[in-house]
Amino acid sequence: MKIRLSELFLVCVRIGALLLGGGYVIVPLLVSEFSEKRNWLTREEIIDFYAMGQCIPGIIAPNTIMLAGYKLRGKTGAFCALLGLTLAPFVAILALASFVSILLKSVIMNDIFWGVNVAIIILIILTVKEVWGVSVVDRLTFLFFIIAFLMCVFGISPAIIIVLAIICGLLRSKIVKGESK
Amino acid sequence: MIFLFLCFEFAKIGLFSFGGGYATLPFLYHMSEVHGWFSLNELSQMLAISSITPGPVGLNVATFAGFKTAGILGSICATMSIMLPSFVFVVIVSKMLKKFKDSPTLFSLMYVLRPVAAALLAAVSFRLFFDSIIKFDTFSNFALKNIDTKAFLLFIVLLIVSLKVKKDPLIYLALGAIAGLLLHFNHIIKLIPFA
Repeated sequence: MKIRLSELFLVCVRIGALLLGGGYVIVPLLVSEFSEKRNWLTREEIIDFYAMGQCIPGIIAPNTIMLAGYKLRGKTGAFCALLGLTLAPFVAILALASFVSILLKSVIMNDIFWGVNVAIIILIILTVKEVWGVSVVDRLTFLFFIIAFLMCVFGISPAIIIVLAIICGLLRSKIVKGESK
Repeated sequence: MIFLFLCFEFAKIGLFSFGGGYATLPFLYHMSEVHGWFSLNELSQMLAISSITPGPVGLNVATFAGFKTAGILGSICATMSIMLPSFVFVVIVSKMLKKFKDSPTLFSLMYVLRPVAAALLAAVSFRLFFDSIIKFDTFSNFALKNIDTKAFLLFIVLLIVSLKVKKDPLIYLALGAIAGLLLHFNHIIKLIPFA
């Protein structure tokens, strides 16, 4: 049975509108919509897609839903899923964006955003803390962290730092392969 | 012309950012410094609004930043280009699913990329802290009186809260908003007539 693209698109619109909070929320939403309600995919497949979505460059939630879409209907499916996921947030942001510049002319809104800006710093620190636990696992990864941190603080483009990291990763895989032989 | 440039810059973010939605932040931060399409303060506002809007934060911020830079067409350019590299990767990866999942090369790559992505994010929080709270640009103009004391106190309080309880990110945004209002109480009083 072929899944209809229009249905895939509409389900993804729904997921996009419901996706609040961190990117990992995509997993329970996909499990409920794709697996429990429609039996398109199994729970395990979705968790696998999420894990792979983290290894693909870009934003995790859209990566995950594109992998799921690809599995169901190939390239068109992946594109449909992405388009669906993007639709509701896109409209919401555009509506708010034109509104915000007007709001920010008021002193009160500026006060609110003054406090929110401080909260944003805390949110970023909390994210770093969360990622730290799974990424800085030994001395070598700690060293990578420190070097990348200093490079970024001194204004080196993040793209250059990531490219250097990819080169280091490839070199490491060569070395590990050499050792195991 | 601005659209081509915008597409190029956002495709670069899509290609080089790894990890959660916030992973795009170091790039946007760099963008605001190099191109001046939006200020640092505006970036924080965009981030706050993107967090309370449905949808992935990284995608929302891209839409917002594109809009800020070049209107609706800009937001379409930014959203499409940030996803383009991922789309290509999804197609490639899906074709060699099994090989990709257990590849030792991928393991090595992620081993290095994860701490580096975390470090880039740490650097953003570090610089936001110094830019918006300590107000410290260069060593020459460092002065204690520049420190935004209220912001510094709020930062400490929120940090303590975050250590004690782990809750939804929305809580912190709400607490920040409330504190912003209360700490500038004189502005509200001025709004009340005859007060």
